[in-house]
Amino acid sequence: MVEVDLSGPRLANDLFFVLHDDTTGRMRLSSRLTGLGLAAAVLGELMLTGRVTVELTDGWVGLALVDAAPTGDTLTQTALDHIIAEPSHRFRIWLQFLARTAHTDVAARMTADGLLHPPRGRLSRRWAPVLANTAAWPGGRLNLAIQRRQPLDLQDGVLLGLLVATSGGQLVLWDQNPTYLSASTAALPAPLQELIAQTEAAVGDSVISRR
Amino acid sequence: MSLTEETEERAGAVSAALAQDRLGIPSVVFFVISASAPLTVIAGVVSTAYAATGVTGVPLAFVLLGAILAVFTVGYVTMARHVVNAGAFYAYTAKGLGRPAGVATAWVALLAYNALQVGLYGLIGSAVEPLLSEWFGISPAWWVIALAAWALTGLLGLMRVDVNGKVLAVLLLTEVAVVVVFDIANLLHPVASGYSLDVFGPSSFFVPGMGAVIAICIAAFSGFESSVVFSEETKDPRRTVPIATYIAIAVISGLYALSSWAMTVPVGSDKIVATSREQGPGLLFNLAGQHLGATIATIGSVLFATSIIAALIAFHNTISRYIFALGRERVLPAAFGRTSPRTGAPVNGSVAQSVVGLAVIVICVVFGLDPLVQLFFTVGSFGGLGVLLMLAATSVAVLAFFSKNPGLENAWRIRIAPGIAAVLLVVVLGFALVNFDTVLGVAPDSLLRWVLPAVYFIAIGLGVAWALALRANRPEVYANIGLGAEAAVGESK
Repeated sequence: MVEVDLSGPRLANDLFFVLHDDTTGRMRLSSRLTGLGLAAAVLGELMLTGRVTVELTDGWVGLALVDAAPTGDTLTQTALDHIIAEPSHRFRIWLQFLARTAHTDVAARMTADGLLHPPRGRLSRRWAPVLANTAAWPGGRLNLAIQRRQPLDLQDGVLLGLLVATSGGQLVLWDQNPTYLSASTAALPAPLQELIAQTEAAVGDSVISRR
Repeated sequence: MSLTEETEERAGAVSAALAQDRLGIPSVVFFVISASAPLTVIAGVVSTAYAATGVTGVPLAFVLLGAILAVFTVGYVTMARHVVNAGAFYAYTAKGLGRPAGVATAWVALLAYNALQVGLYGLIGSAVEPLLSEWFGISPAWWVIALAAWALTGLLGLMRVDVNGKVLAVLLLTEVAVVVVFDIANLLHPVASGYSLDVFGPSSFFVPGMGAVIAICIAAFSGFESSVVFSEETKDPRRTVPIATYIAIAVISGLYALSSWAMTVPVGSDKIVATSREQGPGLLFNLAGQHLGATIATIGSVLFATSIIAALIAFHNTISRYIFALGRERVLPAAFGRTSPRTGAPVNGSVAQSVVGLAVIVICVVFGLDPLVQLFFTVGSFGGLGVLLMLAATSVAVLAFFSKNPGLENAWRIRIAPGIAAVLLVVVLGFALVNFDTVLGVAPDSLLRWVLPAVYFIAIGLGVAWALALRANRPEVYANIGLGAEAAVGESK
């Protein structure tokens, strides 16, 4: 898999920005959809940096370790440690497991990196972006690329796929061109396509779930 | 065919963290029983069954249906262990009898559940109007109340408010408590001739009209399709789901049999039909008023109204999820598979169900139909017939599935019990069809008695044709039939 420059913007940060209002930090999606999307983005970071990949055997979809080297980041390292400790879970379990805490965890990392303000008040779960321009950029980047029909790089391809899979595309994208969207996902390597498909299925399950 | 792994690692931090959110037996029992709305059944369905069919064997019908469904459940929950994402009856028929049968079942399910849901709009008026007239001295037309309930249901559906687990539990326990108190009061005030168990005797049931009783009473069990939906969300699917389903069936059929018998005790089994015709769904509360006083009767009436609303919402959500799952498979247009970003609701499925509800209410008003007889009873029984069809098809699908995949389970679970269930359900279905004139309250040679059942057979035909068209033109969609939301990843785990 192609390595992505770690110093650049991270997938989960980008998705967090896209899924929240760029000035107020208000959540655009329901919290369970946000959680699933960010969980997928954390797994996406591990996949983009070549730490894990999707393992498909006999209709069974799981995660396989590729490289156990430290990620240099608490959020992805914690996820990676769990995957190393319990490698036998299927992909959906990882999504559900990470989704429980993904929103808080990603926000904590972004707050530590100076991208978000800490929530005001103890009960608040709203992290306002420090710079609205930075927060608006990932969504803007996607919209511009779609408008100009330009292909996306690997990370933005995953970002767009996850945005659409969580239904956030309806709110964020100016032009939900179905041809462009499906071509963009189809251009991704198979493991990343599977990440997006699994996220879409998990979102569908959460809609059908009676709880 | 991908089968559920027999053993999945249960230890470890990941499983432990997820296990906290998982359901135990009591939660699943609650979900299933509350979907059947006990007070709605006992006040609404039971009195209507006595009145419309003239058959006194209603209590026996509940006992027999409970027994048949328990036998059906043996194969049903066994198949749930082996079919991925067994969300609904149509997933089973798609697996067992082929994808065309799956689409046909889905069409039947949509018809039947919509019929049961909109039927309740005919009942809600008779539950709420007495309360409004007592408290505020107003008595709006039934359809005004129905439209208010319709708006509330549609709104909550769009907001994805499932009546929350805890609210549901409180409502359900209060409902059951009220029913039990009413039953005890009824049992303490027998008619002069004393107690009679006539209504449990075969002679009171095996009479013309028996099929009609079945079509009506089966609707009372319609919530139980949902039990296996929780497979993935339970602590121990192999144990939790079967036990919870058996408990739910036992409690439901026991409570309904007891209550429908208790209702005859103070009235007399010879007069129950006439009295039900006179008083309708109010009968239960009138009896309670005589025995327990006006306050208790009023509490019962309020709970009757909330029970109907809870049932309306439950059916609405079931239907919108069915539509959503079919949209995700692209069996219905993809737009139906759209999620509302802000609420996570199956938004277009929800809107579609609301449109159906509104259309039916408007038609009833325009044609001046009687809400209780023609909407609640006729349309509701039409829905009951559909549920019977789905049960019969599913039990055959279980047989077919395990004959294609032999050696997975013992013979009782995969052949004997499903075989008995299939035969019994087909027989029951036959009775219901034969007596459909009674269900509708029309003359035996009326055309209508054949027209309504024929609607299902048309739906089945169209479903099969649609599936075959998909196979020819869009094989990738055809391959995903029955997978629901999992259509996104195809047939994997």
